[in-house]
Order: sequence, then structure tokens, then C-alpha cells
Amino acid sequence: MLSMKNISKVFKTDLVETHALRDFNLEVNEGEFVAVTGPSGSGKTTFLNIAGLLEGFTQGDYFLDGVNISNLSDNKSAAIRNEKIGFIFQGFNLISDLNLAENVEVPLRYRGFSAKERKVRVERALDQVGLAARMKHLPTQLSGGQQQRVAIARALAGEPRFLLADEPTGNLDSLMARQVMELLEDINKAGTTIIMVTHDAELARRAQRNIQIVDGQVCDFTMYQSGQTDNKTQSIADAVSVA
Amino acid sequence: MLQIKPILSMLMRSKSGPLLLLVQIILSVAIVANASFIITERVGLMSRDSGIAESEVFDLTIYNFDGAIDPNKQNLIDVEIIRNLDGVKAATSSSMTPLSGGGWASNFTYGSSEEDRKETPNAALYYGDEQMISTLGLKLVEGRNFHPDEVSSGGPELANSAIVSADFAKDTFADESAVGQIMYRGNIGEQSIKIIGVVERLQGAWVDHDNLNRSVILNVELGSSFTRFLVRADESAIADLKEAIPAALHKEHPNRVVRGFTTIKEHRNRSYRDHELMATVLSMMVVLLLLITSLGLAGMVMFNVERRTKQIGTRRALGAKKRDIVSFFLVENYLICLTGGCLGALIALQLGQQLMTLYSLPKLELIYPIVTVAGLLVLTTIAVILPAQKAARISPATATRSV
Amino acid sequence: MFFYYLDLAWRSIKKTPFLSLLMVLAISIGIGITITTLNVYKMASINPAGERSSQLFAVRLLSQDNDTWDEITPQITYQDAFNLRTSAVPVRQSAMFRTGLAVQTEDINFAPILESVRVIDSDFFGLFDVPFIYGGPWEKQVDDEGGYKVVINEDINQKAFGGGNSIGKTLLLNRKPYQVVGVTAQWNPSPKYYDVNNGAFNNSEQIFVPFSLTPIEEFDSWGNNNSWRREDIRTYQDRLNSEMHWLQYWVELDTPAKQQEYQQWLAAYVEQQKLIGRFKRPDAHGDISDVGQWLKEHNVVPEDNKVLVGLSVLFLVVCLVNMLGLLLAKFLKRAPEVGVRRAIGASRLQIFAQHLVEVGLIGFCGGVLGLLWAWGALYVLSTKFDLEQSLAQLDQSMWLIAPMIAVSAAIIAGLYPAWRICSTNPSVYLKSQ
Repeated sequence: MLSMKNISKVFKTDLVETHALRDFNLEVNEGEFVAVTGPSGSGKTTFLNIAGLLEGFTQGDYFLDGVNISNLSDNKSAAIRNEKIGFIFQGFNLISDLNLAENVEVPLRYRGFSAKERKVRVERALDQVGLAARMKHLPTQLSGGQQQRVAIARALAGEPRFLLADEPTGNLDSLMARQVMELLEDINKAGTTIIMVTHDAELARRAQRNIQIVDGQVCDFTMYQSGQTDNKTQSIADAVSVA
Repeated sequence: MLQIKPILSMLMRSKSGPLLLLVQIILSVAIVANASFIITERVGLMSRDSGIAESEVFDLTIYNFDGAIDPNKQNLIDVEIIRNLDGVKAATSSSMTPLSGGGWASNFTYGSSEEDRKETPNAALYYGDEQMISTLGLKLVEGRNFHPDEVSSGGPELANSAIVSADFAKDTFADESAVGQIMYRGNIGEQSIKIIGVVERLQGAWVDHDNLNRSVILNVELGSSFTRFLVRADESAIADLKEAIPAALHKEHPNRVVRGFTTIKEHRNRSYRDHELMATVLSMMVVLLLLITSLGLAGMVMFNVERRTKQIGTRRALGAKKRDIVSFFLVENYLICLTGGCLGALIALQLGQQLMTLYSLPKLELIYPIVTVAGLLVLTTIAVILPAQKAARISPATATRSV
Repeated sequence: MFFYYLDLAWRSIKKTPFLSLLMVLAISIGIGITITTLNVYKMASINPAGERSSQLFAVRLLSQDNDTWDEITPQITYQDAFNLRTSAVPVRQSAMFRTGLAVQTEDINFAPILESVRVIDSDFFGLFDVPFIYGGPWEKQVDDEGGYKVVINEDINQKAFGGGNSIGKTLLLNRKPYQVVGVTAQWNPSPKYYDVNNGAFNNSEQIFVPFSLTPIEEFDSWGNNNSWRREDIRTYQDRLNSEMHWLQYWVELDTPAKQQEYQQWLAAYVEQQKLIGRFKRPDAHGDISDVGQWLKEHNVVPEDNKVLVGLSVLFLVVCLVNMLGLLLAKFLKRAPEVGVRRAIGASRLQIFAQHLVEVGLIGFCGGVLGLLWAWGALYVLSTKFDLEQSLAQLDQSMWLIAPMIAVSAAIIAGLYPAWRICSTNPSVYLKSQ
């Protein structure tokens, strides 16, 4: 489904070169629920942006659903984002001027669906997250948990092959966080591949597979287990670099 | 203390916003400076004194289309009829109406002999009688008026004495007194005309001609079927005279058309119409341009305040006073305004140069761009100070909030 | 997609009413000023002869002595006009000038009025396409032999005869009876190109009489009479024999061959006049110019007007730069939303298009409002300054031109902000706000 081989991303400014990702390798299979964890500045966000085709990369190969992503035109990558990828953000990122239905409709607009098709899909997606009754409300009239559910509905409306979630529960209290997590699990069970970036170990544990990113490289959960005990990231990083 | 350096480096970093403002100010200065220069020039033209009691004097024409009428005799009768009407202070036949855009103009020769022949500058020619001066309300500064028995009736070749405007006298005879000088129509010695008086000021018919202030009054009542009269009356009496004069003239002889009754003031408005129109449109342009520029400036500052909320909060938390915040925005915009102003002044001068070569406009004076930039600085202050004060009210606590 | 963008644009405008109003106002004022000055310019520079412009020619002669006038003048002498009339080359031709005559009817209660009158040959009507309601021009024969015939327009027909078919009725001009042979419809070309002497935008004459009556009736000239040498002119005959330039002369030459032929004829005429010693300077020549050239040479569009058009275009540029700045601010503020749209699958092009539609909508509103400003400004200016009707009315084409200039100008101003917003990296704005 998703395959990254030796991906590197270097940010250059006048003075310094920062390696956000280096020789990053990752395979995700269809239907997996993968949690990505790591300390701040480790490269989680860069990984997510590259995976979501929001950013290019300096080196390496990236195949998504069999398509080579390197050097895609803006138009093509926009189309792939639109059809294959659903995004869920920590800050929900709903468009505040649009009501719920219109928010969910946005990706369908860009895909060029007819008005009738859009209506069916919007209703279905909002129904799935239990907010069909409030589709004329504006985002600001909802609680954080509800807003995130709308964001999920928006991600689902285009029936993507996989979801990219960036700290989806980061701005929510624990009750709402649980609801959202359960919703994601349901979606995964229905066949959608999910990659979720989080720094919440509790949440990460509920995923099928955990990946840790440290200093721009993957540090597989299994490795983490076989290593020392808890949160000794430094030693792990050493171990990785020695290996 | 004014923190020019950090402001400058900040401006350099966020290129497009300040750059646009700069372009806007450059163009505004160029336009406003040139426009206000043209406005002052036109207003200057319009405010020239004609020397005439403009709102009390009106003209009329009598067209005697009956071939049986002897125009010379008829004119003498007509002028008497007009003078005897109630409300008329003075009246004369005249070859032309001042400031009307149409009339007679020529130059004279003078000198002791054909070898010594000199030409006077071009001047407007008024043919009329001894009441010309009182009709127009002119001020005699030297010499005397025509005596009634010196005025002839007939063609222009009968003229033999003249009253001239001071400008004509000065342009022709410089410091010499004009009174007593002899001029000729045609070659030296041909038709001699003696100057007997000088009036302080009398304008001709063409407001855009350089002969405007040079006029000569000649002592002939022109006889032709088409005769023009100038009449002076109290402003309040003019409306009634519009009825009374044609009635009295038709009573005397029905076969003629009497037209006109336009005051010199109305002629003036008509003649200066294009200048006034130009000045009006340009003033409109200047006011609107300044309005738009200051609104745009205020909009930009508002946007910047919003964008820099956090930064301003941090500055406040670090000890900046409200006054410092306001002066920060003021200095920032003064810098843009001054830079734009200087560049704009250069472009304004260039534009002025172009206008001067392409069209018959005078050269732009340096004071106009300078005053424009000064005015723009005042405007900047007004446009910036309100949003900047809003910025100064941002709480220092903003800095500590994460969102 | 266009209507979706339009919907988004409208929401965005509503969301920031002050900023949007500022932009619409800025562009509308710019457009208003530009359209006002452009309109006057356009009306002044119209070529009223239309497609006949290239077939109608004004004839001029450089006939003055050396060391007098430098340039060829727009008018000719009576002697030359008299001679030019003998040429058989032109399809139509007419000498002409403006005069004024007292108009009376046989009704003694009709108070005499003084009207401006054009003295012409019968070809005048065909030359300038004067539309007739009743009758037509007088017979050609009148042009040679003289005859008291008159053509009036419907206004005079109304005043003198109460309207209707007045062919055959008698009109008294300066107490002489003239027989009405034709009544024309309102005809008022602007600029009045056939005679720009008394201002190019004043009204046409309403009465037309035969040029052949000039020596008999001794019509006054109501135009410019210019002499390059001092002549003692006492009688009307003196005037006709003088070197005074006071007549206009127009010919119709419908093909290039005819034009060439006429120029040759004119050259021969000049040679002949040189031979008899009338034209003294060596570079004496004849010249024909068509309506377009004629209008250009006589500077029918006042210079002030050109300056105003130039300044108002600069003004519009200022308004656009102003708008550009505000748009940039507005769009960049919206970057997070654009980030979301980009993530969800909008391409750069779609974002670009969305923003250009918004800019276009603002431009369109500005254009419509600007047109209203222009209409109001023209109305106010024309009432305050008593402008000629032909200059002060809003030309119909402006209803199309104004929104078009406004929209395209706004889009030009919007290109950069729209490009900036669509090319920013969306990921920057997606991390928690």
C-alpha cells in the first residue's frame, strides 16, 4: 500500500542544513492501523507531510498504492490526495465559514461529483459519525469532539484508501478522545488503512503496529521491546545508528 | 530611540507589502503634485482682474435687416433710446464684448518715419463713444476721456484718438508716458491715432491669448447693420431691461432682431469654462486619490496590527510603553512615506517635464512635490495613528497565550 | 466549478465587509474617473463621417506670399472657391460658410428671429448625408444661376410653419422671400467637422441657402476672416476680390484614382495661378485631407482632455496598487483555510482560479459602481459647466467597457496575491493553529 525507501528530507537555510528525515524506510500494508510516535522534532510531521503528498522529499522512493510519487506534478498529487488520502488534523481544520455539510462537501467539489452524488455522500459520511442531524450548523457551534468527527466525516466522504491522522485526539478531553479513537478503529475495521501520528503512548498501543521515529529514522516497536526498558530514546538512537 | 534600524530590517524582510505601499505613494505624489500645480495655474488664470464691472455690464446685438435703414443714423438713435431707459447707468455701441471669445484685434505702427517704423504688440480693439469708460467701469489713471464731439460715426478708418490700457502702454512705450504718443493704422503716417488717455486695466476678448491685458479704445461708433451695444445697469435692473430694451427698440423700428443680454460675468464663466472644468476634475482627483491612499494605508496598518498581535504583546511584556508601540508604527510608515515621497517627487518632475513638452503646460515648480510630500506625511500620521492606538491596547498577556 | 468559486467569493466578501468595501470603492473610483475622462475623450474624438470619412476631403491652398503666414490655412478665398467650382473631377463638391439672417414668415405676427445659416452648394446635402423628411436639395441650375430657394430643418419648420410638409411655402430671410424646397431631419454631426471655426462642438445651422446668392445678397461671414496682407475692403465686392481666407471647401472623391486625378487638377490650377502672378511663393500648392486627418490637424480633442485621460489612467493604477496590497493582506490571512483545501485535494490551479474569481467579482462590483460614479460625474459636470450635450452623455459602449476594464484591471492586480496564496506550502498551516 505505502512503501518508502531511503527517503531523505533536508531543509537548507543560509547557515545550517537540517536533516528532517534520513534514509527513512517504511512499508505499510493494506488494512493496517499504524501508530507513529516520537519526540518533538523527531521528524513525525515531515513524515506525515511527505506521506500525504503535501511536501516533496530530497532523495529516495515513495510508492503509494503502486504509484511512484517522486516528481508528480501539482495537479496529479492534488488528485491523489483528493481520491486516495483522507486527512485528520489535531486542530480539526474545519473551514469556519462553511457549515458542516459544506465542509464535508469540499473534497467532493474538487473531485467534480454532481450535486446529487455530493448530497448522498455528505449525508452518508455525516451519518457515519453521528452528526447528520446537525449538518446546517457551523463548526463553531460544536464541541471539539464533534468537530473532529466532522473532520473525519470530511476525510471519509471521498472514500479514501487510507487516512492520515495527525494527533487526532490532541485537543480533546479523554472521553471525547476515546470516542474518536473508537470511530477510527471502526473505520479501520471497514478496510481503510490508517496511519496515525501521536505522542500519546496509551493511544498508540491500541494500534496494530507501532513505529517510533527518532532523529528522522524509523525505530521499529519490536526493536524497542528487545532493547532496554522504558523511554531511553537516546540509547535507542545510538543502537540504531550503530546498526 | 526611534528604532529605525530594526524597523528597516523588518521592512526589508517582508518585501511585498511595504513595496506596494511605496509604489502607491510614489504614484500619488507624482499625480498630486502635477495636478495641484495645474489647478493653481488655472485658478491663477481665472482670478485675473478684467478691470470691468463684470456683473453690471451686459451686451446686446441689434440686427437691422431692413435695407432701408441707414446703420450710422440708426445707431445714434438706438444708443439714445437705451440711455434714456430707467435703470441704465451708461451705454455705448462697441465693436466687441470683453471676455466673450470673439472680437477685433490688431497692432499699430509708430515711429518718426518708415525707416524708424516699430510695431506695437497685438491689442484688442474697442470702437465706441465717450461712454465706453463709464459703461465698463474703467479707471482712468492718466490723460482724459473722449469729448462727445470727438466721436465719429462710420467706419474704422475714422478713428483718430485712443485710450489704451496701462499694460498696452507699458508693453509699447515702456517707461515713457503713453499720453500724447501717435500710432498709425497701416504704414507710418497713414491713419494717425493720438493716445489721449490710459486706463488702469482693460482686458480683451480672448482669455487664452497673450494680448489679454492689452486693449485700445478708439473714438468711432461703428455703423453697420449688425451692431453691438454694451450697457451698464444695477444688477437688480438687468432682468427688467431684458424686456424693456427690445420693446423700446421695436417700437422705434420693428424690422430688426435684438439678441444677447449676457453679462460680462456670464461671458467670463463661459470663456473660463474649460479651465474651471479642468481645475474641478483635477481637484476631485486629488481629493479622491488622497482618500484612497490614506484608506489603503490605514487598511495595511490594521492588517499588520492583527498579524503582529503576538509580537506586540511580547514587546509590551518586555517593557515597551503604549507610546513606543504607536511610534513604532508611525516610524515604519514615515520611512515608507518619505522614501516614496522622494522617489515620487523625482517622477513628478519627470512627468511635469513630459507634460510640458507634449502639451502646452508650464513647467512644474519644485515646491509642489515638496508640499505634496509634507501633506502626505500629515495624512500618514492620521491614517496610522488610529489603528496603531488599537495596537497599543493589546494586552501584554497575549504573549503568554499559546494560541 | 465557476459557480462554486463565485459562491466562495461572495462568502469571503461578506466576511470582511469593510476590507471588501474599501477595495470595491478604490477600484470604482478609479474606474469612475477613468470612464469620465475617457468618455469625454471618446465623444470628442469620434469621426462623425463614419465610413465616408475616407471619401470626403477638405481642400486647402497655400496661396499666401512669403514672409506672411507660415502654414497652410483651413480656409480659402472667394476667388479660389469660385475657380475650384469649375472642376469636373469631384463626385460632389461645395463651397460654404456660416452666416446669420433674420427669419420671418408671411404671417406678420411672427416675431423675427435671428438664425445661423449655412451658405452652400446643392451638393452639400449629398456630401454630408443630410437626411430629408420632405423634398430635397434645390436644382443644380440654382448653383450656377442663383435662385431664392431654401432648405430648413424640422425645428425651423416647426417654429415658422407649425410643422408638416412645407414644400413650396415662403420663408423671409432678411425680408427677401425664399421658397422652401426641402425639410431636413435633425442633423448635428459632432464634432462639426465640416466647419470647426466656431468651435467643433456647437450646433449645426438649421437653414441652408444657395452659395450662388453670395454676391447678390452680400451675406455676412460669421466665421474667421483672415487676411495675410492689408487690403482696403470697403464694399462686398472688395471682399470677394480680396485675398481674405474665409470659406470652407469640401469635395467627395470616391476612388484613389479620382483622388489622384483631383490632386493633379489642383496642381495644374496652382501652376496657372502662379503664371498669372497671383500665387507668388515657390512652394505654393493645393492639399486635400480626409475627415480623419482633418480632425487630427485641427486638434478637435482639447489637450487638457488628453492630460486628464493620462492622469486618470495613472489614478487607476494607484487604485489597483492599493487593491493589490489589500488583496495580499486578505489572501495571506486566509492561508490556513487554503492549506486545508490543498490537503483535501485542491490543486494549485484550482486555488488560483478560486481567488481570481473572487478578485474578478470585486472588480465587477467596482466596475458597475464606477459606471454610476462616471454617470453622476458627467451629469454634475455637464449641468455645472453647461457642457455640450454631445460631450456629456455617457456613450453606450461604456456600459461594456467599464466593467471590462474593471474586471481585467482587478484580475491583473489579483494575479500576484492569488499566485502567492496558491504557491505557499500548505503543510505549514496544517499543524495546530
